Amino acid sequence: MNVSSAIVVVAVIAFAAFAVWRVLKKGMPCECGSSCCCGGGCYCKDGK
Amino acid sequence: MANSIKIALAGNPNCGKTTLFNAITGSEQYVGNWPGVTVEKKDGVLRGHKEVVVQDLPGIYSLSPYSTEEKVTRRFLVDENPDAILNIVDGTNIERNLYLSTQLAELGLPMVMAVNMMDVVKKNGDKIDFAKISKALRCEVVGISALKKEGDMEAAEMAVALAKGGERGTGNGERGGGLRKLPDVPHVFSGSVEHAIAHIEESIQGKVPMRSIRWYAIKIFERDREIIRDLGLGVGDMKHIEEHIRDCEKELDDDAESIITNQRYDFIKKLMDKSLALNEKHKNKATLSDRIDKIVTHRFLALPIFILSLCAMWWLAVAENGPGTVLTDWANDEFLADGWHLPFTTHEVDGKDFDAAQEDFAKAEATVKAWEAGEKKASIEDEETGEVSDEWDIDEAAYKAAKEVEEPDPSKYGVWVPGIGALVSAGLEKVGVGETVKSLVVDGAWGGVATVLGFVPVIFIVFLFLAFLEDCGYMARVAFIMDRLLRKFGLSGKSFIPMLIGKGCGVPAVMAARTIENERARRMTVILATFVPCGAKTVIIAMFAALFFREQWYVAALMDVVGIAIIILGGIALKKTRFFAGEAASFVLELPAYHMPTFSGVWHHTWNRLKGYIIKAGLIIFPACVFLWFVMHFDWSLTLLGDEEIEKSILHDLGSWIAWFFSPLGFGSWQGAAASVSAEIAKEQATATLGLVAANMGGATTGANIQAFFASVSAFPKLAALSFMVFNLFVPPCMVAIAVTFREMGSKKWGWFAIAFQLFVGYVLALNAYQLGILFAGGGFGLWTAVALLVDVWCAWMVLRPDRKGGSK
Repeated sequence: MNVSSAIVVVAVIAFAAFAVWRVLKKGMPCECGSSCCCGGGCYCKDGK
Repeated sequence: MANSIKIALAGNPNCGKTTLFNAITGSEQYVGNWPGVTVEKKDGVLRGHKEVVVQDLPGIYSLSPYSTEEKVTRRFLVDENPDAILNIVDGTNIERNLYLSTQLAELGLPMVMAVNMMDVVKKNGDKIDFAKISKALRCEVVGISALKKEGDMEAAEMAVALAKGGERGTGNGERGGGLRKLPDVPHVFSGSVEHAIAHIEESIQGKVPMRSIRWYAIKIFERDREIIRDLGLGVGDMKHIEEHIRDCEKELDDDAESIITNQRYDFIKKLMDKSLALNEKHKNKATLSDRIDKIVTHRFLALPIFILSLCAMWWLAVAENGPGTVLTDWANDEFLADGWHLPFTTHEVDGKDFDAAQEDFAKAEATVKAWEAGEKKASIEDEETGEVSDEWDIDEAAYKAAKEVEEPDPSKYGVWVPGIGALVSAGLEKVGVGETVKSLVVDGAWGGVATVLGFVPVIFIVFLFLAFLEDCGYMARVAFIMDRLLRKFGLSGKSFIPMLIGKGCGVPAVMAARTIENERARRMTVILATFVPCGAKTVIIAMFAALFFREQWYVAALMDVVGIAIIILGGIALKKTRFFAGEAASFVLELPAYHMPTFSGVWHHTWNRLKGYIIKAGLIIFPACVFLWFVMHFDWSLTLLGDEEIEKSILHDLGSWIAWFFSPLGFGSWQGAAASVSAEIAKEQATATLGLVAANMGGATTGANIQAFFASVSAFPKLAALSFMVFNLFVPPCMVAIAVTFREMGSKKWGWFAIAFQLFVGYVLALNAYQLGILFAGGGFGLWTAVALLVDVWCAWMVLRPDRKGGSK
């Protein structure tokens, strides 16, 4: 695997890990249109 | 907490509280044009006043403890002691709204009454004398228009000024007038009632805050059990109080609660006679809303009109050559894929346009391939059906001529704008990444995200249409129509409000069931609410409508109708079991006047939902597709596999282990299993996963690959696709909605029951779609056809069997 490939793989995995971390921290983005108690941020953490 | 002033925003349902709350706090809470949207109180900081917290309370008609909303609001007002109340009142229905206002005034808290919709009141030519109302209710009264953001901040700042002064207000009703102390709360009852209340006040002195003593006394007069219990009044106290109440009841020949209600209305009636001047022109005339309602809520026309409106929405979104399809095709095949020609810049080269040149190249490729394989005929197959769509004879001359044909360069046919997919591929090639890594990005990460983003136009049209229907007031009528229908089957229309919310997202739909007091009805609503296809499921419908049912666009609308039918039939069947038997709960629904929605309001609703969908593509679909790509390209010993070795992959094995479960449904392969299971992460993941696992099917586009996949798993690809769509629409919702279902059910037992019920319904519907579809298409009668029919007979029995009386607790 060349350097470019390694950088691309690391970048993809890093963004995927960041996305998972963000969901775990802030909650699941959804199409509720802020109709649940997510304060307009469109993130529903277990509906809270 | 730095904030020190609490302002409570209270009023009737659907009078504009949340609109005012958003305007004065800068929040983006969901505003529904039907009652019951605000389930819990919500906080926001007042603009320009960091020290002031505004609490948006659920809409209520009175401070009685009967409904969940009333309990939440009353508990906050009584127990949490806000510094002031901002009472929002619908100016077009002021008489009815004042019932709550008189009760709020009795709490003795500083209060500002904001009379909303003054723009409509003025347009109607009606006049409201704020000064008289202010004097009678001992509070400030101001006119506002929350929707047009007129007077909203003045009302809020007036409440802050009153809170800071701890005073009740001027009573002069002049906006921005000076504040002077008013000594007491309004007295709205006749002499004998006031006499009894005065005695009760004496008895409870020291037990309640002095400023709210009148409110407590009236509640005790009404024999409000919760208040009597909370105050811990002894038998001696109550005996003395009861004597006064009974004397009063005897004198007025009515029960205490009715006396209070009637006299309150008498007071309001007299106040309105003095302070409300209705325009004579409109006084006894039916309004435009009344005239529209005569048609749209007509007992025979209402349902067809509702179904027609659903059809109109889906036609716009998914019909062949409709705006949704044209934009989705452009997004999927051009913007997110290879690229597109700028309009009005295209021209022909050698007498052929770009599409014709591409067709020639495809034929030339097929000719070369066939000749090199030693065949005398070349053909092009239809990617969807696998049938030969074009066939021709070939010879050496044709082969040589075909070898000379070059792939057309799109930039020669007009101004060519490369698509994002092409740019990603070109970028990766330029930096010299290997084919496997290119596949990870192009087929895995980007491919999945692009599959979902390609349907943004369809989702946008659906959300825009729903926002328009909701903002103009029609959706509240839908709840009314459904109540009338559901009531015939012993179900309450109150259960339909969560289902209306569920068209956007299942999570708030399940939460909205909290407003239903009866536990059985609430549990049943939680189970049924997510059968209305949500925004994420709309992507599944859009994809299958685009790939398989272009000419049958009504299949998309049918999915909504099936969802509603399941709610009705499932509700009837559940009500006949001992766990859900009982009377339908009462449902009070106030129909808002129709109005032309504002652009900003409709846009706000649409964008808020669409934003969630786009964010989800990045935060959920992207990592999920990266994970799926890895498990699809590695075996159990973590050795990287080539494209032709996918059958050794982890995903292949995992999918194959459960593929048998989906065989009777027509998509019993590892790909179908992987797509269906991954949909539990988020429903639109089903489409992204299908795009990923079908990537090697040999089609030119993701759509063609998915069509080829269904053609490979079933002799009836359209029926297999329909079955896949139905299964993923009606089985349990995504994992977040499942988690909320468990929480709202309050027990694991009921949570699992909900999941099992939803899985059963989704499976049976998909089984019927596939097996009975094959039967009607002439594919014969098999074992699973018999199973489908037997299950149908059992379901019909569950729905049609006699009602159960009573039921266990």
